[in-house]
Amino acid sequence: MTATNATVFLVDDEPGMLKALTRLLKAEGFTVQAFTSAKIFLESYHPETFSCLVLDVAMPGLNGLELQERLTRSGLLVPIVFLTGHGDIPMSVQAIKAGAVDFLTKPVRDSELLRAVRTALQRAAEQRELISEVARLRQRHASLTPRESEVMTQVVAGRLNKQIAADLGTGEHTVKVHRARVMEKMGVESVADLVRAAGRLEAGKKVMGYH
Amino acid sequence: MSWVTIIWSMTAAACLTLAAIHFLVWCQRRTAWADLVFTLTSVGVALYAGCELSMMLAQTPEQFAAALRWLQVPTWMIVVSLAAFVRLYLRAGRRWLAWSVFALRSLALVLNFLVGQNLNYLQVTGLKQIRFLGETVSLGVGISNPWMLVGQSSLLLLVIFTLDAAIAVWRRGDRRQAVVTGGSIVFFALTGMTQAVLVLWRMVDMPLTESFFFLGIVVAMGYEMSRETLRAAQLSDDLLESQQRMRLAASAADLSLWDWDIVHDKIWLTEKGRERAGVSASERINFDRFFRAIHPDDRESTLRAVRHAVEISGGFEAEYRLMAGDGTTHWIAAHGQVERDARGKALRLRGVSVDVTERKKAEGELAQQRNELSHLSRVTTLSELSSSLAHELNQPLAIILTNAQAAQRLLAQSPPDVAETRDILADIVSEDERAGEVIRRLRALLKPGQAQRLPLSVNEAIEDVLRIARSDLIGRGVSVRANLSISVPPVLGDRIQLQQVLLNLILNASDAMAGNPPMERHLSLATACHDGRVQISISDNGCGLPAEPERIFQPFYTTKKDGLGLGLPICRSIITTHQGRLWAEANAVADGLTASAHSGQGTTLRLELPAAEGKP
Repeated sequence: MTATNATVFLVDDEPGMLKALTRLLKAEGFTVQAFTSAKIFLESYHPETFSCLVLDVAMPGLNGLELQERLTRSGLLVPIVFLTGHGDIPMSVQAIKAGAVDFLTKPVRDSELLRAVRTALQRAAEQRELISEVARLRQRHASLTPRESEVMTQVVAGRLNKQIAADLGTGEHTVKVHRARVMEKMGVESVADLVRAAGRLEAGKKVMGYH
Repeated sequence: MSWVTIIWSMTAAACLTLAAIHFLVWCQRRTAWADLVFTLTSVGVALYAGCELSMMLAQTPEQFAAALRWLQVPTWMIVVSLAAFVRLYLRAGRRWLAWSVFALRSLALVLNFLVGQNLNYLQVTGLKQIRFLGETVSLGVGISNPWMLVGQSSLLLLVIFTLDAAIAVWRRGDRRQAVVTGGSIVFFALTGMTQAVLVLWRMVDMPLTESFFFLGIVVAMGYEMSRETLRAAQLSDDLLESQQRMRLAASAADLSLWDWDIVHDKIWLTEKGRERAGVSASERINFDRFFRAIHPDDRESTLRAVRHAVEISGGFEAEYRLMAGDGTTHWIAAHGQVERDARGKALRLRGVSVDVTERKKAEGELAQQRNELSHLSRVTTLSELSSSLAHELNQPLAIILTNAQAAQRLLAQSPPDVAETRDILADIVSEDERAGEVIRRLRALLKPGQAQRLPLSVNEAIEDVLRIARSDLIGRGVSVRANLSISVPPVLGDRIQLQQVLLNLILNASDAMAGNPPMERHLSLATACHDGRVQISISDNGCGLPAEPERIFQPFYTTKKDGLGLGLPICRSIITTHQGRLWAEANAVADGLTASAHSGQGTTLRLELPAAEGKP
């Protein structure tokens, strides 16, 4: 996949390296923006951009791992490919655990780097899709009355109409009506679809932090 | 033969003998003017005695008158030479008085030949025969010449002049000289004059016996002069003795003595010195011959030292190698002094030399050991940096690879991007050079070698070291601030060793900051120049110094788990051999580096080196 509307951000304190990586990625048709420090990158980065980040670990000032931590804390979901001169295993484990797409060691083979960048952009696309779906579901979810929302939670949890009615202290018929409204408002045809939608909402909460 | 003839002849002979001896002395030493004057006096007295004898034996008034007339010549000689003797030998007497004596006596001599038959008689009218020493001698009878007073007053003046000089000599402390020489001249001149007055003014009937009185003076003078000769002999004995002692001392101390007569270009050299220069005991040597024995590498510096001594300072100091010719070479330390004449012209250069071959050898071995130790410490330091250095090499390689791969892709496009590929190739070349530079720098630091003394820029050395340590410092999260003054003059030293010291100090500083939070590790380097000394300071805000800062320079003192404690002692020894200083100071709290709650106030290592002379 060649994402012409995607941007690859490069951050490396070594200008020669930046230049070489820019050339390689541009030759593959990527849009590239290069930065010589993490600080400058943070100043110009917009979260809405469809992008990934190729990041050097050892840099004066803010280093790569610190930048990753800061981005995560701010809920900025940019997939990161780490590129390092002398990486060790603990460092790579930390990076991957914190959500990095890949941890590559310089000198890096072009195919490896391009694969990692593509993977990262794929993830960025997925994230974008997820985000828009979650936003849609959330909007629908927000239109539910408190009672309907309660019924939905119970349904998703797999409880029977009878059990729900007993819990809520109403008749089984009333629960059926609520349930039909929930299905309609959430735009799903089956209980299975409703469960998946609830899962997405939950995932969205996790992925986007407090969003 | 009569008594009169015998006595007067003997007087003359005795005087001539003394004259001959002192004349010979003067011939040997032309500066001994007192001997020449004494010769003149003695000859004068001998002639005087001769004239007196002729007067006593005169048969006619004319003979008597003629003898008396010629008597004035030795009288002139005696009076003038006595005045000169007083001036020369006693080194006293008023000059104008001496000249007055000379003038009056010369006038008397002139009058002697112009007025009357002689100075004493206008005319000798007859002879009177009297008995003297059992013999009949002649006395002159005639009209006295009033100009006689001129001669007699010149004698009186001589007495006054001598008396005055003798008093001066007495006051000076040379009492014996004053009494013997001055006293005898005064006494005998006075008595002689009295007798002459009595005889010549016909108050007593007796012949002139002045020569006896003069003989008295000559004997007194001769006595003094012989004492002088005796003393000279004694001195020469003493001199010989002290020379022997000096030679003994010199050879015991392995010294050689030398004396270069600059005017005649002759070198005198003791046996030891000849041996070292490969010169046989009998060979005559001049500067050129000696110069050829000096090792070619040391000739220029030695010549410079000689020139400096002769033309400017007067003191000679040099160290050079002498080649004995049989293949052996000695290191010589020479120390000498120039002797000048009154106008400041250099006459000779004399001094001593000592063989310092052993010392030089020991110095060489020490330097060798120091070099080896510092090399070892350099290699150790670099091995600590090995992973950062690998990164430093890896970086350009990674850039080259990525560039090459980009180029492959650009060339595979249609149409291929030739312009961009050309740029890529240029970058590949420069990155390759950069890698080569890293390797060159490393190789220089790893290579064992002799320390050199060349002018070098401390700023460049610092920048070089920062490049080597760059990755390491980034890896440790240390931020570097370099405040290098552009007006710092070069220093004289070994670039590699200086870089080693700087590298050591920088790594120590970043070790000291390992306990600080990552964003609070600040290393600051500065250079400055004060009073011809270049100072480099390396500051950190790390854990600080022990209570006694000097301890960190002691061998085996270390705060590191796997440290040997030799880095700083070696740094200090390197700086000391560069005539510099290395010391540690605790930072003042209000210093440029602000101390935070997490970090200590830190340490500043200061390194001071003398600026190289000449070029700014």
